[in-house]
Amino acid sequence: MTTTPIHSYRTLLPTRRQVLTVAVVVALLSWFLHAASRTPLHIVLAHIGFMGSCLLMAYSAAGPLRPQWLSLRAARLLALVVTAPVAALAMAAIMQGANVFSYLRSIKNLSGYIMLVLVALVFGLVLSTLSMRGERRQRERADRLQGELEKNTLERELLDARLRLLQAQIEPHFLFNTLANVEALVASGSPNAGPVLRQLIAYLRAAMPRLNDADATLGTELQLVRTYLDLMHMRMPDRLQYDVANLPALASLRFPAMALLTLVENAVCHGIDPSMAGGRIEVGGERHDDKVVLWVSDTGVGMAETAQPGTGLSNLRTRLQAFYGADAHLDVHEQQPHGVRVELHFQPGMPA
Amino acid sequence: MTTALIADDEPLLRERLRSLLTQLWPELRLIDDARNGPETLELFEQHRPDIVFLDIHMPGLNGIDTARALGRRAHLVFVTAYEQYAVQAFEQGAIDYLVKPVDSARLADTVERLRTRKQGSDTLHAVLDQLAGHMAQRAQPRAWLQWIKASVGTSVRLIPVDQVHFLRADDKYTLVAWEEGEALIRKSIRELSEELDPARFVQTHRSVIVNLGSVREVVRGLNETAELHLRNHAAVLPVSRNYLHHFRQM
Repeated sequence: MTTTPIHSYRTLLPTRRQVLTVAVVVALLSWFLHAASRTPLHIVLAHIGFMGSCLLMAYSAAGPLRPQWLSLRAARLLALVVTAPVAALAMAAIMQGANVFSYLRSIKNLSGYIMLVLVALVFGLVLSTLSMRGERRQRERADRLQGELEKNTLERELLDARLRLLQAQIEPHFLFNTLANVEALVASGSPNAGPVLRQLIAYLRAAMPRLNDADATLGTELQLVRTYLDLMHMRMPDRLQYDVANLPALASLRFPAMALLTLVENAVCHGIDPSMAGGRIEVGGERHDDKVVLWVSDTGVGMAETAQPGTGLSNLRTRLQAFYGADAHLDVHEQQPHGVRVELHFQPGMPA
Repeated sequence: MTTALIADDEPLLRERLRSLLTQLWPELRLIDDARNGPETLELFEQHRPDIVFLDIHMPGLNGIDTARALGRRAHLVFVTAYEQYAVQAFEQGAIDYLVKPVDSARLADTVERLRTRKQGSDTLHAVLDQLAGHMAQRAQPRAWLQWIKASVGTSVRLIPVDQVHFLRADDKYTLVAWEEGEALIRKSIRELSEELDPARFVQTHRSVIVNLGSVREVVRGLNETAELHLRNHAAVLPVSRNYLHHFRQM
């Protein structure tokens, strides 16, 4: 954070609590001095009260008005040290009028003046130290609460993402259309009927909601993506071409289940399906040292700038970061001449 | 002789319907199949079939909009996999429809009705208008900007607006600061202020638009101005007098 000076009249004034504290200290100190010196109470109260108010104003204005190179603590202490003698002198001037210097020439009066300055300084420094300690505690508490809040928010987002994954159902439109295709194959006596039905079963089994994706790997995810694309290719043979890379070096990598499938389903539903000419989907990946990038690209209709992003992508981002840490990210790129490419970047850490 | 056209984007399903119809209604003459909405209209103009079997989910032009273009010039039978809202509307409007996978007993009923040429429902247009409105709404509830296109290196990034902290005019371009970095785009602050959802983005200055979700603190200044401090970005953004009202209640 930058420490830009804050210019606002309100921040120049002390807080109500500071005013109250100073008032109580002034009252107690005046009573004590009155009892000890037998000076009339209202005289003592006027002196101490004036000094207290000046020091409090100086203390609270020092923070906002200080130059940037001076620390808050130093600025406040400096303000107190400068204000105490000046305020005492001003007090004497008010009391004695123009005779202030001849008044101070008397030893008794001078020692009284010095006493006043010293007492003001001692109390001012003690109170300001206490106040600054309180402020620091408050700041630490606020920081801690902020930290906890952020942590809670992250945990809640992850929980949300997991819940949504559990609730994510097989698209009924996909299911009934695919079943209609299988039925057509069966009815025409095609030898493809059996294999296609088995693919559908494999897809349904893998895509069923489940609680634990701890044992999911990139290898099984790529297999799921291939199964899905095989089924879609049967449905739109003239419009969908695809290539899913074999990534033997990455196959055993721990990977959040359905993460690539979500992207491939998006590519089919929002890229290829709306296009009369269709297009090509490519799924691939690379490892550079400890960094992995996976991608899903399509040559479909592309994305309008006003297209609703849906919960899928932000959900995926949350799960990716929960899996691989906060550095993991998801980039969306536009393809030329049309289409979308989504990249997942992460560091898997220890090889699984 | 009665003629019919089948419109569906999935070849296996076109084949299946064709073979069922051939069994159930041998005298029906089926012209070439259509693979999408525009092709349906083209083939219809060429051959003027009496009956059109229309898949609802098709590229180019969906079945509902295609039907609106065909109007009452043919007897329409809708085919749907899972458009529940449409099925309800068809039921209420007494319009012919089939669900996939097509059941041959159900298709036999439909064929029987078609043979006797009971003319379609009077409610057709009302139902189609209602469904077309429904589909348009589903496709685009609001037209606010959701992605910002920015050249980063050699590629064009699509940045979700949720990840954008702020946008600031920068000479001829506009600077976008988002969670993963900064980029320059050609769109002006003026254009952006009209295209971004005002519930999430507000203009704070002639040259600045901020994501309200990124604002951590509003610090009042002198002369009816303020400064914005952001949650995850070091920049301090100005709020000028004309735009201060956005933050009055904060």
